[in-house]
Amino acid sequence: MEKLDVPQGTLDLMILTILSREPMHGYGISQRLAALSHDTFQVNPGSLFPTLYRLEQDGKVKAEWAPTENNRNAKYYKLTAAGKKQLERHRERWERIQFAITGVLEGA
Amino acid sequence: MTMLRRLASVMRWVLRRKRVEQELQEELQVFIDISAEQKIRAGVPPAEARRLATLELGGVEQTKERVRAFRHGGLIDQFSRDLRYAIRTLVKQPGFTLVIVLTLAMGIGANTAIFSLFDALMLQWLPVEKPQALLLLNMQPTDAREPGQTLSYAIVKALAERREIFEGVAGFSGFPLDVGPAGTVTRQTGAIVTGGYYSTLGLNAVAGRLLAEEDDRPGAPPVAVISYGYWQREFAHNPGAIGQTIPLNGVPVTIVGVSPRGFVGANVGNIADITIAAAALPQIAPDAAPLLAPGNFWLRVLVRPGSDISIDETNARLAALWREIGDRVIAPHWPVSRRRAMADAVFSLTPGGTGWTFLRGTYEKPLRVLMAIVGVVLLIACANVASLLLARASARRREMAVRLAIGASRRRIIGQLLTESLLLAFSGAAVGIAMAWLSARFLLATISSGPFPITFDLTPNWHTLGFTAAIATITALLFGLAPAFQITAVQPSSVLVDGSRGSSRSRLLPSLVTFQVALTLVLLIAASLFVRTLHNLQTLDIGFNREGVFVADLEGRRTAVSADVLEAVLQAPGVLSASLSTHTPLSGAYWSEPAVPAGQALPDGDTALFVGAGPHYFETMQTPLVAGREFTDRDSARAGAVALINEAYAARFFPKQNPIGQRLSARVRGQLRDLEIIGVVKNTNAVGLRRPPRSTVYVSYAQLTGDFPTTLSVRASGSLGQSASAIQKVLREKLPNSPVQVQPISRQVQAQMVQERMMATLASGFGILALLLACIGLYGLLAYRVARRTREIGIRMALGADRKRVTAMVLSGAARLVAFGILLGLPAAWVVSRWIEELLFQLKPTDPATVGVAIALLMIISLAAAYLPARRASRVDPMIALRHD
Repeated sequence: MEKLDVPQGTLDLMILTILSREPMHGYGISQRLAALSHDTFQVNPGSLFPTLYRLEQDGKVKAEWAPTENNRNAKYYKLTAAGKKQLERHRERWERIQFAITGVLEGA
Repeated sequence: MTMLRRLASVMRWVLRRKRVEQELQEELQVFIDISAEQKIRAGVPPAEARRLATLELGGVEQTKERVRAFRHGGLIDQFSRDLRYAIRTLVKQPGFTLVIVLTLAMGIGANTAIFSLFDALMLQWLPVEKPQALLLLNMQPTDAREPGQTLSYAIVKALAERREIFEGVAGFSGFPLDVGPAGTVTRQTGAIVTGGYYSTLGLNAVAGRLLAEEDDRPGAPPVAVISYGYWQREFAHNPGAIGQTIPLNGVPVTIVGVSPRGFVGANVGNIADITIAAAALPQIAPDAAPLLAPGNFWLRVLVRPGSDISIDETNARLAALWREIGDRVIAPHWPVSRRRAMADAVFSLTPGGTGWTFLRGTYEKPLRVLMAIVGVVLLIACANVASLLLARASARRREMAVRLAIGASRRRIIGQLLTESLLLAFSGAAVGIAMAWLSARFLLATISSGPFPITFDLTPNWHTLGFTAAIATITALLFGLAPAFQITAVQPSSVLVDGSRGSSRSRLLPSLVTFQVALTLVLLIAASLFVRTLHNLQTLDIGFNREGVFVADLEGRRTAVSADVLEAVLQAPGVLSASLSTHTPLSGAYWSEPAVPAGQALPDGDTALFVGAGPHYFETMQTPLVAGREFTDRDSARAGAVALINEAYAARFFPKQNPIGQRLSARVRGQLRDLEIIGVVKNTNAVGLRRPPRSTVYVSYAQLTGDFPTTLSVRASGSLGQSASAIQKVLREKLPNSPVQVQPISRQVQAQMVQERMMATLASGFGILALLLACIGLYGLLAYRVARRTREIGIRMALGADRKRVTAMVLSGAARLVAFGILLGLPAAWVVSRWIEELLFQLKPTDPATVGVAIALLMIISLAAAYLPARRASRVDPMIALRHD
């Protein structure tokens, strides 16, 4: 199946959602994203890392170095309280968008 | 909160860049490692797994670059990195950097210097409350040729009484005062103001009080306000100064207060340290008391309009008020036609927040022209810097190719190169500001050598700093953009593989040189027009010999000047002749009265220039007598009234007649006089060099009645300084109580040419600078070309071309560029010279000799600059050239 780019503005939402379950490192996030989207979304690390750094700068996520299961030191990202709030807001908004788009598509 | 945190995070990125960068590097490495591990676990061979993982990341450097660019503060960080890189690059080539910075410093410094004068003269607000709201009140009687900017005392007082139009009305005028007790008298510029002056400007006293309406009533005790600077210099900030008296023109005047710091009067450029009310004039300067009469228009007027009145409404109310008060304030003794013209006068308001100065009329256009000239110099300098950067570009092609190849975007590199340009431009600007600060003072000193002393505060302010920063930025873009685009337009692979220097010959370099030549020609033509204008003025026949004559202004002391003063002066060593007169040519003061042949009616507005001259006046001035005789001692008060006329007067009133023995009727200081013409003298340029001589009547000094200003003129031989001090010594003995200054009359003549001298000096200075820069540009281009064509030249010579031919080849290339530049420059010069036509004197802007000289100069100097590289080309040794590479 053809891989799609992540829709504009939703990468934040997806990253925050993934991190809301457990802290994760960069590679993990990209893998999880691919798996959860049934391999539909192609997330280029060239987009992933800048977004992660921006979220960190905005205080939505916090990063710390911790050992992986293979005992490597990796940078793990964790959701902060502000990040949780942001996630809820984004989610709510996304659901409204989805509802609206579905309405338009089906009503037409 | 989030803003703060974000800021902290940005700061962390900027300050702890190294740590953060290292972390980023590590994190990306971990990404690749984990990804590779996963792939190996899935069965991919280790080497292949690592390669795939790296591909998946899309390049470590590229991802880093995106992270850097994407995060907050990324731009600051990027800029600071570029700046550091630029500093390193430039420090590595100190010679190159120095040349560029100095070139730019000259260009930018010249702009800042001229702008700081322009700013001080034209743009700076008065340091008063809400200066933007102030308006300058002008009055235009229907018979006036130019808009009148002065009003009479009576009109200002009448307007100030009526509060329904203006919140405040301030009349003011500069006025010289002799300050101090006898023996230590100094002449200072003061100001005469009306009572509403300080309240209109919204100023409050630093100490004591300022002048108010009650000080400007007839008979009020004379009081003075001193400036902050004067308080500081003379009284060391002592509050005890308030209440002390200072002698002004010998009259004790009480100091009542100190005006705010920085405020030195509304007369821009003319510092008023001592300000008195107009009503005090009769006490302090009795001979100036007639200024208060309704017929004298001498006050500049600033008004503060009521806050809720529109301009139209204000004008309408002014017109209505004028109908009401006009009768009361128009001089009653004026002829009917003049009174009618006054009654129908129209008032107008112009922005007044920058105060008023006569300098604007004289210097606005010259300063605009100078701004244009320095702008062109800067453009030429920019072209030079651009050429240097372009020439260096070929040396940097490899560096750029490598950077492009390892993932920097073209935009990034252009940004970085522009940072370098900005750094160069701002270094140039910093040096330029220092140069401007020094040179603007020098400029001001030049202007100040005119008839009036001029003082401006030229300390760099935010206007000039902002202007400089703006032009530095524009400059950087001008000289930096083209090289940046050219330098990055490379195919990395081709440069890296064959290591060639890139063979594309830039068309940009020669066109820059052509452009420089064209601009230089414009400047050279303008400069030679100004130089010839000055020369025309200096060699103008002004009707008297300006060399060897001294004048001493004895002020209004006709009655006090005893005959023995003249006797004593004649005894001084070196003195050939001496004479007294009411006026001297070009002194700035003149006197006019109606005078017509006897039998005709005296006209209303048509007057002749009048001069009261003593015996030997024309001998002293060396004004040739055309017919008749000079005044002698016999033309005394008891003898019949006599007069001499100049040629202009004779030509107008006695065409084709012998005027000697004819009679004139004239009004002299209000009295009808009957004068016999005893002689005709040559015309003199008495009122200005550029104005044609006016019809003039000379009356006998001894036959005048009443007090007149008096000037002593002395012709002396020998050294100027010795004669001046000998005369000065005699005068000090004879007139111990007055600060009489003996000056050569040539200074009076020179003072008439200050503006022209400034233009000639500066325009030719900048013209030479432009020529120099253009020649450096041409030289650089040719040297670069010769260096690149060494091999070709070697082949030509091996095939039999001789040295002369090679020299000619290079020179003809240069000549083509210069000729093309001249062709481009000529029409531009034509347009420019039209624009400056009004500043020229006895010269057409298209004067062929001037244009020819400029072209010849440009060609000779530029070919001289081209000769060096041409000679180097002719010295190429074919054997060495062919082995090279």
